[in-house]
Amino acid sequence: MSEAHLDNGEPVVAVHDVCKEFYRDAITIPVLSGINLELKRGDYLALMGPSGSGKSTLLNLVAGLDRPTSGTVTVCGQSLESTSESKLARWRSRHIGFIFQLYNLIPVLTAFENVELPLTLTSLSRRERREHVEAALQVVGLSDRSHHYPRQLSGGQEQRVSIARAIATDPTLIVADEPTGDLDAKSAGEILDLMERLNREFHKTIIMVTHDPDAAVRAKQIVHLQKGVLVEKTHAGQE
Amino acid sequence: MHTLFYIWRNLKRNKLRSALTILSVGFSLALMTVLNGYTAMQDAWGAESEKYHRIVVLNIQGFSGMLPIAYVDRVRGTEGIRAATPYAWYGGNYKDEQMPFAQFGCDPKAAFGVWDEFSIDPKQLEEWQKTRNGCVVDRRLADKRGWKIGERIPLKGTFYQFDLDLVLCGVWDSPKNTDSLWFNWLYLDEGLREKNAQGTGNAGTIFAQVTSSDATAKVCQTLDERFASSDNPTRTQTESAFFQMFADMAGNVRAYIFYIGLAVVFSLTLVAATSMAVSMRERTSEIAVLKAIGFSRRRVLVTILGEASSITFLGGCLGVALGCSFLELAHRAASQIVPLSVSEMLGPWLAYLLASAAGIGLVSGIVPAVRAAQLSVIDGLRRVV
Ligand SMILES: Nc1ncnc2c1ncn2[C@@H]1O[C@H](COP(=O)(O)OP(=O)(O)OP(=O)(O)O)[C@@H](O)[C@H]1O
Ligand SMILES: [Mg+2]
Repeated sequence: MSEAHLDNGEPVVAVHDVCKEFYRDAITIPVLSGINLELKRGDYLALMGPSGSGKSTLLNLVAGLDRPTSGTVTVCGQSLESTSESKLARWRSRHIGFIFQLYNLIPVLTAFENVELPLTLTSLSRRERREHVEAALQVVGLSDRSHHYPRQLSGGQEQRVSIARAIATDPTLIVADEPTGDLDAKSAGEILDLMERLNREFHKTIIMVTHDPDAAVRAKQIVHLQKGVLVEKTHAGQE
Repeated sequence: MHTLFYIWRNLKRNKLRSALTILSVGFSLALMTVLNGYTAMQDAWGAESEKYHRIVVLNIQGFSGMLPIAYVDRVRGTEGIRAATPYAWYGGNYKDEQMPFAQFGCDPKAAFGVWDEFSIDPKQLEEWQKTRNGCVVDRRLADKRGWKIGERIPLKGTFYQFDLDLVLCGVWDSPKNTDSLWFNWLYLDEGLREKNAQGTGNAGTIFAQVTSSDATAKVCQTLDERFASSDNPTRTQTESAFFQMFADMAGNVRAYIFYIGLAVVFSLTLVAATSMAVSMRERTSEIAVLKAIGFSRRRVLVTILGEASSITFLGGCLGVALGCSFLELAHRAASQIVPLSVSEMLGPWLAYLLASAAGIGLVSGIVPAVRAAQLSVIDGLRRVV
């Protein structure tokens, strides 16, 4: 939210004519072809589609973890297709918050330290880091659990810690790959409530991959990916 | 997170594995410390004796050969020799103890001329020279045993068929603990003659002091040439070479130690590397997450490398400490075998051991660290899902 130029209505995510192929043992695996996608600040997109359709692949491209075979990906004003790896790493730490299906917290670090992890890459002082971490844990409602290790938390709580980790650096875009895929309905509901709050209250732009139609309708819009093509765009009835 | 803090947490991740790795490095480095410390000690001991420019005459066949007592006077008559004494190892048992300290038969009139860095009260020396069955000992030995002047020290022969019934006449002070007792060579020889026993007239070895260290080589050569055509040809060498020969008696100890050390270091590196690689494999997705949220390759590399080297470095320090304690204990228990205390020979060999501990850590950490640094984030994340 600090980027002034994004307030000019410039898209946070702009994907143009993106193709992605993988090469394995001299075989070319085409995964995405001719993808176009644009998200403005405050958008909340649910990405659906059958297994193997390329959802995670698309998400990785947008998050700057991978580069397209052709086409352009511009996120938060940065063209990702030609940026060096070390530069991308620094860029990710500033602009992207990650939420994974399996939470992927560091088991030897407490909830507090896990949330602090991305902040250690910034120039913040110790005290500022502490304030950020406390604020993030407050948002996810786990202030009282900050000194617990991941194994002492339930799956839903772990995912909430990982959300706190994702928002601690105040990123522009949050990418979530099946964030409720491993949770029961109740915990999943809590996570979806949280994501909605991040979108509404904190104006985070969110892309969420999901298999669950009930989760998808919580987003502002839904797109379906089939055989590497975006086939359908629905506006969920949220607003 | 401060990288060190994260490294520390990771060390505690699998305490058993960390402990086992630390212990395996520790024990092997303890072994290396003892071996290296021993050679370092020999060097220090040799260098120490160098400055007194003493030489040792031995039968060319070594200790088993005969060295006629008449040679002592012939050595004394050689140009460049200041003093010479027979020096026969007795190897007797004291009460119930088997060879608890070293005992040598020598010439009371010459011994303190050969070892002129030793000091003794002139009255005590005179007393020893007058008493046929008298003896003198290192002050530290006398103190340890609580012996007073006039003490009876009976020694039972093991190698010679004559038991010594000695009386303590004096104590000497020397720069290093020799843990030795000196008695009159004639007392032993006469005893043997009376009993018609074997081994009479044998000086064992002859220790002599040369007038200057420049003359040493020439004197050795002169002596060996003089006795070359006799029944008992000799081999004369400097005192330090003589001690070196002791050290090398079990073959080329130094080379063995070097190769053992090399093998130990090599296998340890493999052990530590395996342990690290297993640990990394379990953490593939974690490393992928670190990289996803923006950790640079360098940071990942440093973290993993730091973890590997701190494990082995900890082990190495433990091992060096263990080895040094062992050497120190050995020095206190048997100072004729381990003549120096560890504090007297702090030196490059210790630094070398600590450096190899750190080296093992770095080398064993390199492969896993580089692999982690180069891990592709999407591959790392896919492996879990
Ligand atoms: N690194 C890779 N190397 C080779 N093939 C890959 C790689 N990553 C993805 N693929 C292939 O690309 C296709 C799409 O994978 P992707 O993970 O994007 O699917 P998905 O829609 O996320 O599926 P799911 O719902 O099961 O997570 C699959 O056929 C997969 O095998
Ligand atoms: Mg997927």
